[in-house]
Amino acid sequence: MLVNAQDPSKAKALPAPQPTLLMRLQADNVARMVFLLPSVLLVLFLAVFPLLASLYLSVSRIQLVRGGFNIEFIGLRNFERLLSGSEQRRFLGRFTEFNLEHWLVLGAVVLVMVLMLINYVRSPRFKWAGIPVRLVAIAFGAAITYLLLGTLTGRGLPGTLVVTMIFVFAGVTLQYLLGLGLAMLLTQELPGKRFFRIVFLLPMMITPVGIAFLFRMMTDTLQGPLAPLWALAGLRNFSWVETAEGARLAVVIGDTWQWTPFMFIILLAALEGVSRETIEAALVDGANRAQLFFHIILPEILPVSMTLILIRIIESFKIIDMPQVLTRGGPGTATEPVSLHAYNIWRAGDWGGSAALSYLLLIVVTFVALVFMNSVRRRVLEWV
Amino acid sequence: MRKLRGMLSAVLGAAVVANALTFAVAQDKPYAGVVIDVLTFTGPQIAEPLQRRAPDFAELTGATINVVTVPFGDLYQTILTDQATGTNSYEAFVFAPQWMVDYIVPGYLEDLTDYVANDPDLQWDDVAQFFREFSSTYQGRIFTIPLDGDFHMVYFRSDVLEAAGLQPPTTWDEYLAVAEAVHGTDMNGDGEPDFGSCIAKARGEQGYWWIHSIASPFLQTQGTSQGVFFDTETFDPLVNNAGFIRALEIYKATTAFGPPNELNIGVGDTRSLFSAGRCALTLDWGDIGPLSVDPEISVVKDKVGAVITPGSTEVLDRATGELVACDDMTCPFAINGVNHAPFAAFGGWSGGVSAAADPLVKEAAYAFFSYMAQPAQANVDVTIGRTGFNPYRLSQFGDLTPWIEGGFSEAGAREYLGAIEASLASPNFVLDLRIPQNQRYQQVVLDEVLSRFLAGELTAEEAAEEIFMRWNELSDDIGRQAQFEAYLGTIGAQ
Amino acid sequence: MMKRFFATSSPFAPSPAWRIFSYALLIFWAVVVLFPLYWLVITSFKLPIDVSQGPKYLPFVDFQPSLHAWEYILFDQGVTVTRPYTNTIVVGIWSALVSLVIGSLASYGLTRFTYRPKPALVGVFLALAIGALAAVIAGVPPLVAVAAAIVLFFLIAQTIGRRFKGTLTNNDIAFWLISQRMLPPVAVVIPIYLVYQQLGLLNTHAALVITYTTINLPLVIWFMRDYFASIPFELEESAFIDGASRYQVFYRIILPLSTPGLIATFLIVLVFSWNEYILALFLTGADTQTMPMLVVAQNATRGPQWWNISVLVVLMIAPITIMALFLERYIAKGILVGAVKG
Repeated sequence: MLVNAQDPSKAKALPAPQPTLLMRLQADNVARMVFLLPSVLLVLFLAVFPLLASLYLSVSRIQLVRGGFNIEFIGLRNFERLLSGSEQRRFLGRFTEFNLEHWLVLGAVVLVMVLMLINYVRSPRFKWAGIPVRLVAIAFGAAITYLLLGTLTGRGLPGTLVVTMIFVFAGVTLQYLLGLGLAMLLTQELPGKRFFRIVFLLPMMITPVGIAFLFRMMTDTLQGPLAPLWALAGLRNFSWVETAEGARLAVVIGDTWQWTPFMFIILLAALEGVSRETIEAALVDGANRAQLFFHIILPEILPVSMTLILIRIIESFKIIDMPQVLTRGGPGTATEPVSLHAYNIWRAGDWGGSAALSYLLLIVVTFVALVFMNSVRRRVLEWV
Repeated sequence: MRKLRGMLSAVLGAAVVANALTFAVAQDKPYAGVVIDVLTFTGPQIAEPLQRRAPDFAELTGATINVVTVPFGDLYQTILTDQATGTNSYEAFVFAPQWMVDYIVPGYLEDLTDYVANDPDLQWDDVAQFFREFSSTYQGRIFTIPLDGDFHMVYFRSDVLEAAGLQPPTTWDEYLAVAEAVHGTDMNGDGEPDFGSCIAKARGEQGYWWIHSIASPFLQTQGTSQGVFFDTETFDPLVNNAGFIRALEIYKATTAFGPPNELNIGVGDTRSLFSAGRCALTLDWGDIGPLSVDPEISVVKDKVGAVITPGSTEVLDRATGELVACDDMTCPFAINGVNHAPFAAFGGWSGGVSAAADPLVKEAAYAFFSYMAQPAQANVDVTIGRTGFNPYRLSQFGDLTPWIEGGFSEAGAREYLGAIEASLASPNFVLDLRIPQNQRYQQVVLDEVLSRFLAGELTAEEAAEEIFMRWNELSDDIGRQAQFEAYLGTIGAQ
Repeated sequence: MMKRFFATSSPFAPSPAWRIFSYALLIFWAVVVLFPLYWLVITSFKLPIDVSQGPKYLPFVDFQPSLHAWEYILFDQGVTVTRPYTNTIVVGIWSALVSLVIGSLASYGLTRFTYRPKPALVGVFLALAIGALAAVIAGVPPLVAVAAAIVLFFLIAQTIGRRFKGTLTNNDIAFWLISQRMLPPVAVVIPIYLVYQQLGLLNTHAALVITYTTINLPLVIWFMRDYFASIPFELEESAFIDGASRYQVFYRIILPLSTPGLIATFLIVLVFSWNEYILALFLTGADTQTMPMLVVAQNATRGPQWWNISVLVVLMIAPITIMALFLERYIAKGILVGAVKG
C-alpha cells in the first residue's frame, strides 16, 4: 500500500477535485468546515488577535499606576528610537563610512532587482497589481543590502538584526549541508545504520536550554572537556567568547549541533522517497555518482528542501535560548539576536519597546520568507 | 560534615525556640488555616531557609507557608506582571529591595511601618543602620524586612599575598598592582598559572554592579545621602566626569589579570574559580566567606581574607567634573587619607507583603518575615554557607561561636566579620539605584554599554557619554521631575 | 518494505573503500553527538570540586563518582522536581495529541476539499477584529464586542460578500497556517497572557496545552498534508460507494493508513512542546512550571549548578529517547514530505 502511496507520479500536485463522485461530495459543506475551522479559529484566537493587540502595545507607553496600568499612545516613538534614535546602535548597528565600492555594490544589487522587475513586466505573468509589491520588495532589499554593507565592512559593527541574520544564514546553511550529507550516507545499505539513525536524532530531543548549558561546558577552555586540546594548541589563554567572531561561532556550532537532526531526518525521508527504478535506469544509461546526484537525486529532493529550509529560516530568526545561556549576547552585543534583545527590554519592564522590536523582527522575517517563497523557491522549482 | 552539623544545630535550635514560643502563646494559634504563597527565586540560597523554617512557623502560628520559585532572572518581572494584571497569585515576596519602588508606587506592597513598630521580637534596633534606614524604607516608610545583608567586598588569598610580600589593597590602584604582581603564578599547587583578579563581567548577569563599586569612592564623599548615580541638583547622570571615567578604566584594566573568558562569566563562575584556588583577588558579595569554608567546593579554607572595597585618594569635584585630592573638606570620612564608599549593590534579599492580600494574611505574612529575621533564627542562618543570607544585624558580629561551628577558623571568622563590620559602620555607604524602572537604567542601558566598552567597541569617554545620553532620555521619557523626586526620596537627600 | 537506493544488491554497491570512508564519517559525527552527552551524564555524578578543578573524564579513574546531585534532585527536592516533571509530561502529551487531531483534520480538509475564501472577506474580517479590539480597549465588554463583530461579519458575508471577486486557494490557506510559526513568541506573549488572565486560565495546564497546540499546528499541517495527499483517492471512493460518511472515511480508512505518519509527527511535536522554554516562562505559575524552567533556574546567584543541570537534562531526555527507540521504525516511514511537490 505504502509503496504505491509513495509513487511521486501519483501525487504530482495538490489533488484537484476529481469529477463524478468527489464532485458530489463537495456538497458536504458542513464536513469541510468541521475539518478546517478548528485550526483556523485556533490560529486566529492565539496568533492573529494577540498580534493585533501587540501592535497596539508597540505604539504605547505602559506605566504602572495604582490599580493597574496606564496605556498612553505615543505614536511611532518606540520604532523611531530603534531605527534612528538611541537604540539604533543596538538594533541596527554602527555604520561605516560609505566609500565608492560600497556604493557600487549597492548600485549593482539595486540594478539586478530593477532588471528582474523589467523582466517581469515583459513576461506573460505580468499584472499591474504585481508592481507595488515588487517596488516595496526592491526598497526593502536595498535597505537590507545597505544595512549589511554598512555594518559588516570597515568600521561598522552589526546590531542585533544583522547578528540574527548571520545566525540564520550560517546556521541554516551548515545544518542543511550536514543533514544532507549524513542522510546520503545513511541511504546506503550499511550494517548498523539503525544505530546511527537513532544516535543522529538525539540532539533534537534535548531541551534547547539544556544544550546551551552543555555547550557552555564544551566551549569552556578552562574547565571544559576540551581544555587539554586548547592547551596543546598553545591557546591556553584563548577564549571563544572574548572575540565577537569566536562567540558567534560558538553559538552557530551549538545551534547546528541541535538542529542538524531535524534536517537529517526529513532529508532522509525525502531521499528514501526517490524511486529506485529511476536511479537504476540512470545507472544503466551510464551516469556517474556526481551526475546521479545532480541530475536525479537533487531535483527530486529540492521541493522538500525548499520547504525545510524555509521552516528552518523562520525558526532561526527566533533564536534565543542558545545565545542567552551560552554568551548572554556578549561580548558587547556581538551575539545578541533580536529575540533576546526584545526579551531583555521586556524583562526590564519596557513592554512597548519590546512589542515594537518584535514587530520589526516579524516584518523582516515575513519579507525574507516571502522573497524566499516567491523568488528563490519558485525559480528552483521551475528549474527542476 | 561540619556543615551538616551546623544545619542540624540550626534546625534543633529553631525547634527549641519554636517549642518555647508555642508554650508561651499556649494553644491559641493566631493564623490557623491561613495559607501564604511566598514567591522567590529557584535555588537553595533563599528558598531553603524559608522552607526549612516554614514547619516551625506553622507549628507556632498555624499558618501554612508555600514557597514558590521562578528563575532568578525573571523574578522582578514575575512579581510585576502578577500584580499589575491583578492576578495576585502570591501573598508575599522575597526580592531585592532595589526593585521596591516599582512595586510601591503602583501600591503593590503593604506599608510595614506600623507592624515593625509593634513588634518588639524583631529587635529592629539590632539591624544595622543602613538596612534599617535606607535599604528597607522608601520616603521614610518601611516596606521590606531585611533577611540578608548584601554589599560588595574584596576578597583576597592571604597565603598568596603573604608569599608575595603584599598587603591587601586599600585603593583601586593598589588592587591593580596586587593583581598584576601575582597574576600568572600557581596559587593552588596544580602547576598551572592562575589569575590575579576574577570579576564576573558577563552581560545579563551582575556585570553592571561592579562599576559602581569601583566608581563610588571617586563619586561619593559626603555620606549616603549624596548618592552616586545622579547629581542631586540637576538630576544629570554622574557619569561623564573624570571620576566615572577613571573607574571605567580601572574596571577594564582588571580584565588583563583575569581568566581568559572573564567577559562571559557570572558570579557563580568566579566563586567556583576562587574556591578552586585559581584567583588571588575577587570582588563579590558576602557569599564568598561561608563558601570558602565549605569543604565540598573549597580548597582555600583559612586562606581567604576580606577587606572593605578599595577606596581612592582622589575624589570628584562635582562642580568642575575633575578629580581633586582628598583632604578634610573633600573627604570627611576618609580613613588614612583614603575615601571608602562600600556599595550595597542589590540591597540584600528582603521580604515584602502584597497589599492586595486579606488583612489576616498580611499579618501572617509579616509575622513570617519577622520570625525569619529575629535573631534566634537569623543569626544561625547567616552562618550557613548553603543559604544566601549574609550578616545584617549587629548581634551577628558579637558572637563568633556559630561561625566557628559553620566551619570558620577563629581568625578567619574575625577577619570576614571585620570587613563586613567596617563596611557597615561606614557613614559613606552607597545605596543602589532605586528610582522607578531602575532595571531599564541598569540592566538594559548600563549593562549593554559596559559590555560594549569591555569588548572594545567604545572608549571610556564614549561609554560615559552614551550612558549620560540614554539615562537622560529614559528620565525624560518616564517623567524627569518625578524621577528626580523619587531619587532624592530614596537616598534620603533633602 | 521500503526500497532504498544504493542497496548492496544493486549494481552500484558501495566499494570497500567507499564503505570505510562512509563509516569514518558516520563514526565521526556519532562522536560529535555522543561526546557532549557522555559529558552530560558523567557531570551528573561529579562533585562541585570535580567540575571546578579542570576537566575530569573517567569516573573511578579521574574522579570518584558521587550520587549527591541525584539525591538532591530526586529526594531532597521532592515536589519541586516532581511537579514540573509531571507538568511537562501532561502538557507535552496533551498538546501533541490535540495539535495532531486538529492539524490532521485541517490537513485532510486541505487535501480533499477545495476552499475558496475571498481575500476581501478576509479583509472585512480583520477590520472587524481590529474594531472589536478597539472597542474592548475603549471599555466595551469583550463578549459584546466579539458577538457584535461576528454578527456583522456574517451579515456582510451573506450580502455584499458574494460580489467580491478573487479567491484564495488551498495552498494559500496552508501557507497562512504554516507561516504562523514565524511569530516571535515575545511579540504575542503579553496579549496572550492578558487573555488567559481574563479567562482564568493562567497557571493551568490548559494555558500551555492551547498555546503549544497553536505553535505546533503548522508542523502537523506541513507533515500530514503531504502524507494524506499521498494516499490514493480510490480507497476512499469505494468506501463512499458503500455509503460511508466523510467522518467514517477519515476515521476508518485515512487514519489507520496514516499511523506511521501520525506517530512520527506526534514524536516531533511532542519534542517541541516538551522542551519549550520562553512561552512556559510567561504563562506558567507555581503549579504549572515545566522542566526547562527548572533547568534554567539551576543557574542562580551561585552560578550554574552543573551537576544538577546535568541530572535534570538526563531526566528530561530519558523518556523521549526511550520513546524514540521504540518508535524509530515509524519515524523512518512516517515522514513523507515531498510526496507532494511543495
